[in-house]
Amino acid sequence: MNRQSRALLSVLLIGVITFVGWRSCSAPPDDSNGEIRISTVPTRGGVVRSSLRSEPRTFNRLLDANFPVDLFSLVTGSKLVRVNRATRQLEPGLAEKWSASPDNLTYTLTLRDGVTWSDGTPFTSADVVFTFQAVYDPKVNSILASALKVNGQPLKVSAPDPRTVVVTLPATFGPGIAILDNLHLVPKHKLEAAFKNGTFAQALAVTTPPAELALLGPFVLRSYEPGQRIVFDRNPRYWKKDAAGIQLPYADQLVLEVVPDQNAELLRLQAGQIDMMQQQIRPEDVATLRPLVDQGKARVIELGVGTDPDLLFFNLRTPYWQKDPRRDWILRKEFRKAISHAVDREAYANTVFLGSGVPIWGPITPGNKDWFSPNIQRYAHSIDRAKEILAGLGLTNRDQDEWLEDANNAEARFTLLTYRGNSSLERGAAVLRDALRPAGIAVDVVALEQGALVQRMVKGDFEAIFFFFSATNLDPSMNLDFWLSSGSAHIWNIGQTKPATEWEKEIDDLMMQVTSQPDPAERRRLFEQVQKIFAENLPALYFVAPRLHMGVTERLGGLEPAILRPQLLWNVDRITVRQDGAQ
Amino acid sequence: MGRYLLQRLGFALLLVFVVSSAALLLTRAAPGDTLDPQERARINHELGLDRPLLAQYLSWLGGAARLDFGESVLYSRPVKALLGERALNTAILATAALILATAIGIPLGIYSGSRSTGIGPSIVRALSVLGLSVPPLIGSLALVFLAARTGWFPVGGMTSAAGLEMSWSRYLLDLARHIPVPALALAIPLAASLERLQSQAIAAASRETFVAASRARGLERMQSLLRHAWPVSLRPVLGLYGVMIGSLFSGSFIVEVVTSWPGLGRLMFDALKARDIFLVAGCAATGAVFLAIGTLIADMLLAWTDPRVRAGERA
Repeated sequence: MNRQSRALLSVLLIGVITFVGWRSCSAPPDDSNGEIRISTVPTRGGVVRSSLRSEPRTFNRLLDANFPVDLFSLVTGSKLVRVNRATRQLEPGLAEKWSASPDNLTYTLTLRDGVTWSDGTPFTSADVVFTFQAVYDPKVNSILASALKVNGQPLKVSAPDPRTVVVTLPATFGPGIAILDNLHLVPKHKLEAAFKNGTFAQALAVTTPPAELALLGPFVLRSYEPGQRIVFDRNPRYWKKDAAGIQLPYADQLVLEVVPDQNAELLRLQAGQIDMMQQQIRPEDVATLRPLVDQGKARVIELGVGTDPDLLFFNLRTPYWQKDPRRDWILRKEFRKAISHAVDREAYANTVFLGSGVPIWGPITPGNKDWFSPNIQRYAHSIDRAKEILAGLGLTNRDQDEWLEDANNAEARFTLLTYRGNSSLERGAAVLRDALRPAGIAVDVVALEQGALVQRMVKGDFEAIFFFFSATNLDPSMNLDFWLSSGSAHIWNIGQTKPATEWEKEIDDLMMQVTSQPDPAERRRLFEQVQKIFAENLPALYFVAPRLHMGVTERLGGLEPAILRPQLLWNVDRITVRQDGAQ
Repeated sequence: MGRYLLQRLGFALLLVFVVSSAALLLTRAAPGDTLDPQERARINHELGLDRPLLAQYLSWLGGAARLDFGESVLYSRPVKALLGERALNTAILATAALILATAIGIPLGIYSGSRSTGIGPSIVRALSVLGLSVPPLIGSLALVFLAARTGWFPVGGMTSAAGLEMSWSRYLLDLARHIPVPALALAIPLAASLERLQSQAIAAASRETFVAASRARGLERMQSLLRHAWPVSLRPVLGLYGVMIGSLFSGSFIVEVVTSWPGLGRLMFDALKARDIFLVAGCAATGAVFLAIGTLIADMLLAWTDPRVRAGERA
């Protein structure tokens, strides 16, 4: 027994000594973990390394709109036409040109000659027709179906010959052919059988061998190691070339490292183990990257003002408040106006975004240059004005405590739900609570897990919510779910059968005009009206839009930062990797 | 011994059944959903989650008995396959952490427990208290930060990007370069616990008369400690091993998330966030299996090292 114990102890000690010895003698880390090389001449080749916070559930973009799947589709796919995220202009993709009928209802697209899928099969108009067929099939239940409809009606698509696609819209549509930016193409020769036998939903699972995937994008899948990374190789059959005739993409490989924790993600960027993070860095992390910037190893790129600001909204469904003693004032727009006056947006920006934010009064921020209107009503910070408005609602301090009460002694108090774990929302909710205290309004902040919060929001089981709404497109006609009273993202009163208020009806009518109007200037004028009505009625309150920053190592060039995600990888085929030696 | 093992196995099966069933039912009952209603309805129909709860539970139980834990909503893959991949990764990390914790904690515990005064034992005790006090999140982040700053080790992940294409020898070397940060993050608090427990146990054992008798027979102090006091002191320490093995092998989601280690803990965390009930239940069942095995191993080691336990078993 004693000998056994000694032997055990000896083995353990030898293990420790061996490990330490091996570690001290082992080779230094390879270049992927070492210092960042910087050269002045951008060259073809190299590896672009980014992080990915979560993993794809499928490789089928028709079935899943989550970011990892969207990113997968973006780096491995091509579109007929696309909206350039930097210039916001429509540009040709697999369709090299198109023409519109005089009534702007029919578009005839000419496909590029000689384009093939990554397995060598020619890409033809039959693939386009097949993709539309799959998108609109109720059995497939595609997530893209609503984004490819106009007024709830599908587009008609035909293919007179292998290089021609004719798309007919059911009604005039302001964004026109830009609607095809929502279309993610799938290969008919690979998926037709699955579509016919009803297994389309199971096709393109993440376990699909890379060789089985037929792709059209700059990169093809090399390997997917669940929980670790996705590796892509250059697609040698990619159709796009640069102005000098060099085939894109410039980089040989793209690696998406799965890093679920944002702090670890930042540390990997600092260590040079990734070149960019999945999305913008937090304001407090900008200073953390400063030493790397000073050493010339990294850059902090300002993307501009964010277009998805946090918002506060009340439950505006009248039945919810029917038996509540606060119903006489909590649904009134004057109450919301008082809140808007009570919040000091400068202080909010300083506290929540460390000064890196701009005050806003509506959902369209200055970051959305094409649609932002500076001419909407603004609510200057004034506690006195807020109190004056609240007094007009019958809310005064009747019992000499901190809070206002109405004539029935119901306190000016509401519960504000927010998303646990999101630092800007949690800090913002605390700022709002403190900002409303001097005005006599009590706010009980409750942070919930995201799933629970979304469920409460969809069910309409809340008093007020402080959350965010991610727009997928900067054109308001592409976000009708938010603007229309019948919309599923009309979060203060979802899915109304008919507009509950006069101003919502007015917005509905105007938005239908914005959507059907082909003249861009007229569309902007009409949408400015919408923003004015919104700011007057305040169904949602906006306070500050953050300035967004991306951290990126100096290895990368050819970047064209954009506001919408993925802010840098959207033009992955033009990203270059600077090298002074072998990569 | 055979009857004793059978009893322990029975307990293990009951533990697995109760834990996985509770995980399934509680996750099913928990509020919240991250999917939109349309997508949720489609998935529920596909996976049979729109049936009555009892029917779902019985069907899952029948599958689980055949090691078929259903299909993951989050990954659109069979839970069994996911568990297999991730459990192996966690087992690699847990083994390394267990070896490290033992190699650090036990010798230091013997050292500090055998000396009541002096600077050395005081430093060891202080370090142990520090190791025990630092939460795993902070400990992991500190180690990841250190790795990022020094470049001694990769900041996260289990292998390099070319890991899949490496030869076995290079793959193992690559794995060995990635393992120190997460293994240390897991091992430090465990080593501190082992040190404290071993220190107190050996201090108590060294006061026993048989240890004094061995010294009187002419054994040197260290020989007397290792031959006579240490085996007796192992009883409480081995008791802790059961829990340690169980908790390590069922995965630490904090360490795995921070160090991007693709293990069971992270899988469970993702499954809980997505309300992926079959995956949660599968992870819980795997964790319970490891806990049961850990307890069993600890009991067997205890019986092996302590003659009193063996004697008690025979009686």
